[in-house]
Amino acid sequence: MKKQLFANPDNCTGCNRCTLVCAAIKEGVFQPDKGRLKINNFPLRGYSVPSICFQCPKANCLEACPTAALYRDSDGVVLVNQDLCTSCGACVSACTYGMVELDGNGTAFKCDLCGGDPACVKECPADALLFEPGDPELIRLRAAQMKCRTISGSPNDKRRAMAEIMMKKARA
Amino acid sequence: MNLYVGKMLIVDLATTSVSTEPLRLDWTKDYRGAWGLALRYYCDAVKPEVDPLSSENVIVIMTGPLGGTLVPLASRLCLVSKSPHTGTIFESNIGGAFGPELKYAGYDGIIIKGRAAAPVFLKIADGCATLESAELLIGRGIFETEKLLEAEIGSPDAKCLAIGPAAENLITFSMIGSESYRQFGRGGTGALFGSKNLKGIVCRGTGAISVADMGGFLERVNHYKNNDLMTEDNLWAKTDGTPILVEVTNEMGIHPTKNYTRGFNGRKEKLNSEAIQAAKLGDRACFACPMACGKFTRVNSAEIEGPEYETLCLAGSNCEINDLEAVIRFNRLCDDLGLDTMSCGSTISLAMEMTETGRHDFNLHFGQVDEYLKVIYEIATLSTDRGRDLAMGAKKLAAKYGAEDLSMEVKGLEMPAYEPRGNYGMGIAYATSERGACHLRAFPIFTPDPFNIDALVTEVVNAQNANGIKWSMGFCDFWGTMNSETEADLLTIGLGEEVTAAELDRAGERIWNLSRLFNLRAGFTAADDTLPKKVMERPLEEGAAAGRVFSREDLAVAMDSYYRVRGWDEQGVPSQEKRIELGLDQLLKEDLS
Repeated sequence: MKKQLFANPDNCTGCNRCTLVCAAIKEGVFQPDKGRLKINNFPLRGYSVPSICFQCPKANCLEACPTAALYRDSDGVVLVNQDLCTSCGACVSACTYGMVELDGNGTAFKCDLCGGDPACVKECPADALLFEPGDPELIRLRAAQMKCRTISGSPNDKRRAMAEIMMKKARA
Repeated sequence: MNLYVGKMLIVDLATTSVSTEPLRLDWTKDYRGAWGLALRYYCDAVKPEVDPLSSENVIVIMTGPLGGTLVPLASRLCLVSKSPHTGTIFESNIGGAFGPELKYAGYDGIIIKGRAAAPVFLKIADGCATLESAELLIGRGIFETEKLLEAEIGSPDAKCLAIGPAAENLITFSMIGSESYRQFGRGGTGALFGSKNLKGIVCRGTGAISVADMGGFLERVNHYKNNDLMTEDNLWAKTDGTPILVEVTNEMGIHPTKNYTRGFNGRKEKLNSEAIQAAKLGDRACFACPMACGKFTRVNSAEIEGPEYETLCLAGSNCEINDLEAVIRFNRLCDDLGLDTMSCGSTISLAMEMTETGRHDFNLHFGQVDEYLKVIYEIATLSTDRGRDLAMGAKKLAAKYGAEDLSMEVKGLEMPAYEPRGNYGMGIAYATSERGACHLRAFPIFTPDPFNIDALVTEVVNAQNANGIKWSMGFCDFWGTMNSETEADLLTIGLGEEVTAAELDRAGERIWNLSRLFNLRAGFTAADDTLPKKVMERPLEEGAAAGRVFSREDLAVAMDSYYRVRGWDEQGVPSQEKRIELGLDQLLKEDLS
């Protein structure tokens, strides 16, 4: 079975090592805001929810791109060809999970799974991020997360909306 | 610029003006960051005689050079000012993520001066700082205040420093909270904000921190993380967190029980690490920390990140509240209303002993949960006679009713949860800390012979100097194997310029001596380097150190030895040679002759 990225919020401690290492590798600086994944912290309830790109089989971002700057590679990973990106932002609006954003130059950026060896997973000290074929429980968890779609709002609003659903369920 | 941002935010509340100035790079070499750098800025900004709660006092908040990077346990934020609780200079530091957020927003630190005419909060959003009205936030607890501040800045990812009603009421052991359960806990940080009419700070930063060589830096960080941090000496923090100390200190006979009457709690299993594990819902981490020592617990409907060891002991064993749910409720009330759980717990245990020995009836009894929980609100809101009494803290409360023989504080700061009669090193550490009884300057509880004064003096001095630089680097206490070689290596590769361990060792000693000079100038003398009467006169009951005191005579021997090892004169004044050696001869120079 093909490996996928899984997020298990029950294990997440909210430390943000994943977002730090992601931006360090992709941008060469320490800047969690430029991480290709994000951590939503709910300190009062003692809970944190990672937001990850699911590399959706039917990817809204890819379908929305008018210049085919977004494309899928042979491993099924959705990538950005920066040379073709016109900064229109259609992909940002289209992603219902808030996982595509525009950088300072207006170019779209998103998770590329580090070419099949994601740095965030190696950095996670709590097994909250996993890259593996996945057991039935993880696959169910991922499916439940993928059901939490938000149509409108900023990427941050969309991530937060899903995270709140996960948190409320866990801390009921 | 590498590691540092290079900019300080200056807030003058009296004129409601906000400005910036370049970071003093001439000071970063000698003081590095966080504690040391804040101390240097502070000594430049005020006279040591300053009244802590006056508009003339200044608050300096400072990040460390490694904060906001992947270096684990290095993102703590320091606050330096003069304490309204002790009248000493003091440093308090906080975990969580406010420090990194401040750097991402474009500032290494904040200097807060003056007093606002009406309640305000400081809003910092990526290089733009403004003062806004906080009228609608007044009277609200910390949890709600943080939520409202996040809404004000329009981002749930913002980080806050906020005060509650206890600090608005200028209670001198009130604190500043962040991310619900993290605090600048000790010394009355909250009252400092309160006295300035500053309800809180909300910060959102999306910027970047650079290092000289990212590839090399990441390689070193991984090396130290895997081969030094995540090893047996430190992993207790990941598995158990601070509650592991309940068993450790009980075994040593230094676990304060019944207002420091006993060194052993026969019902410790109600509050130990196993009890916490049984109530645990998950592990919680500060920014960039792989340890996640915070244990999020729930008993019935009461949930909290914690309680930590000091609270389990000082608000648990020491009040004979051997009931985890009650201690969680105590902790949560303190965290929301804005009281330091250590000083609050210790003051309540004192009031319990005063009640039970007939000194004064506060209707507070050991082991009695209802009144113990009720009185917290009364303290924070000053709403009853006993609330107003206890809000003074242990020293003034004891003085008011002639119960000095029962109160456990040094220089007015209530003692942490390690009994000095069973470990003289803790006594030496408490007597000599710049902020009064404190366990975060030296922590010699694992020493081979806890009664060997000479060896302990050396151990305490070395630890104080080492922590001087460790807190100035923004490191957390719980990287127990951290040393100046590692610190120098990380700084060198991050900054891209050579930093030596010897320089850092010297900086640690410089910071300790500068704090001492400030306190001497503020009016403290060798006579204040002392311990509570109870420690010196009343034998400890129960446990491995039963029957022990730390006598006046032994303490005098220890202090003589301590001053000698420090290069101070018999009155505890740093010698001229020492001051020149540390480059402090031009600082506060008119203070001592």
